[in-house]
Amino acid sequence: MNHFLKSTRFKVILFILALLIGIMIYAVSAGGYQLSAEGLFRAVSAPVQRFSNSISERVEHSLHVYRDAEIHYEQNKALKQEVAELNKELADYAATKQKLADLQEFVGIKEQYPDMVLSAPCEVTGYVTNDPFHAFTIGQGSAEGLSLYDPVVTDLGLVGVITSLGEHTAQVTTILSPQVSVAAYCSTTKDHGVVTGTVADALDGKCRMQYLEKETAIKTDKVILTSGENGMFPKGYVIGYVRDVQVDDTGLTAAAVLEPASEIADLSMVIVIKDFDGKGRDRHE
Amino acid sequence: MNRPLPARRYAFLQTVQWFIFGILALLCYFLMTSGSSIKPLLLIPLAICISAHFGEIPAAAVGVFGGLLTDIACGKLLGYNAVWLVTCCVMTSLLHSYVLRDKLLNVLLLTAVCTAVQGYLDFMFYYAIWGHADVELIYMRIMLPSGIMTLLSTIPIWLIVRHICEKCGSRRSFELEKTIVSAQ
Repeated sequence: MNHFLKSTRFKVILFILALLIGIMIYAVSAGGYQLSAEGLFRAVSAPVQRFSNSISERVEHSLHVYRDAEIHYEQNKALKQEVAELNKELADYAATKQKLADLQEFVGIKEQYPDMVLSAPCEVTGYVTNDPFHAFTIGQGSAEGLSLYDPVVTDLGLVGVITSLGEHTAQVTTILSPQVSVAAYCSTTKDHGVVTGTVADALDGKCRMQYLEKETAIKTDKVILTSGENGMFPKGYVIGYVRDVQVDDTGLTAAAVLEPASEIADLSMVIVIKDFDGKGRDRHE
Repeated sequence: MNRPLPARRYAFLQTVQWFIFGILALLCYFLMTSGSSIKPLLLIPLAICISAHFGEIPAAAVGVFGGLLTDIACGKLLGYNAVWLVTCCVMTSLLHSYVLRDKLLNVLLLTAVCTAVQGYLDFMFYYAIWGHADVELIYMRIMLPSGIMTLLSTIPIWLIVRHICEKCGSRRSFELEKTIVSAQ
């Protein structure tokens, strides 16, 4: 061992370690932009990754059918009960009118923002390994006109934000992550709050709308939309649906547990909003 | 007693061997980045198993390659896992040169230590340091199952790597063979 420590091999290994630490420091200083070698590797490996990802999705889907048969049975029962309750609600004119208003607002989002510049549909090339917040990589980057911190959506709702950008790839951090905070409001009660992820909620595929008034009127199934404050996200895009309302540990505010409108753990295609009315408003002010 | 391989044949087999290792590493990378369920960090046992059969410099190279691929797959800072994996691979090579024999149990132990430390560092620097609530759930529900899967995956990986090394004649076995023949 003593001989090894004095040998040239040891010096070579020390040089390699120093080089790696240098790469790390350089990567930190890149401030979210991927190194060209990393970007090149991601771009070259993307077709194979897409192929293996599609196989994996099919295998996971088949396994879920068998593994979750009992859960699906219970869910089916619960959904049937829910349908019965909804049918009762349909008879109630006022409730129906309110739901219709919610839907009109949801449908009207695109008409409301004709100036929104959208990317071409981006394929999800792969999920980040073992990430509790389901970060993923998409097959478009700066060459396709994407920028850091552009919002990422599906037709169902908000998914996340670009946090790492390469020439032909980008990494998306989802709304399940505590790193992402979205100013939001309830479409019916107009209560405002901040949607962000927590570890416990993320592991159940949910996120949380915080800083609501303790006596909030928000109830289960209400739609939560982006409020567009701070210019990070367009106003009025669907984030998710309220599944539970809880008073915070402090006892001063309430929080709503949300189920994201998009199936974040099972995405195959997303769209990036490249520009929208009011983008970066607060940052430029 | 087998005769030592001619140098040209040996060089050819070595090229084939490293090519197969490269393909194996890419296969592990694609398996790691497919789907959104919890998966083993296959590149760690692969790098450890390969390092056990080679000298310190090839082991360091394997550590760099495996570590950088792990960084890309896990969305970590480039070089973060590589630094740790180079250290583990060089230690594995040195331990197998001076202390340990090429046995599954030894490789399992080394992979367990490497994965445990990597998981701990990952947990500390990427989650615990930010002070999020319920952060221990990430360790219990993601890192621990992934670590156990990584450890279990060492068994088939070790068998595959050992088979390739036996067929292609790793440097260590080649030198040992030469020594025995010259001694006779």
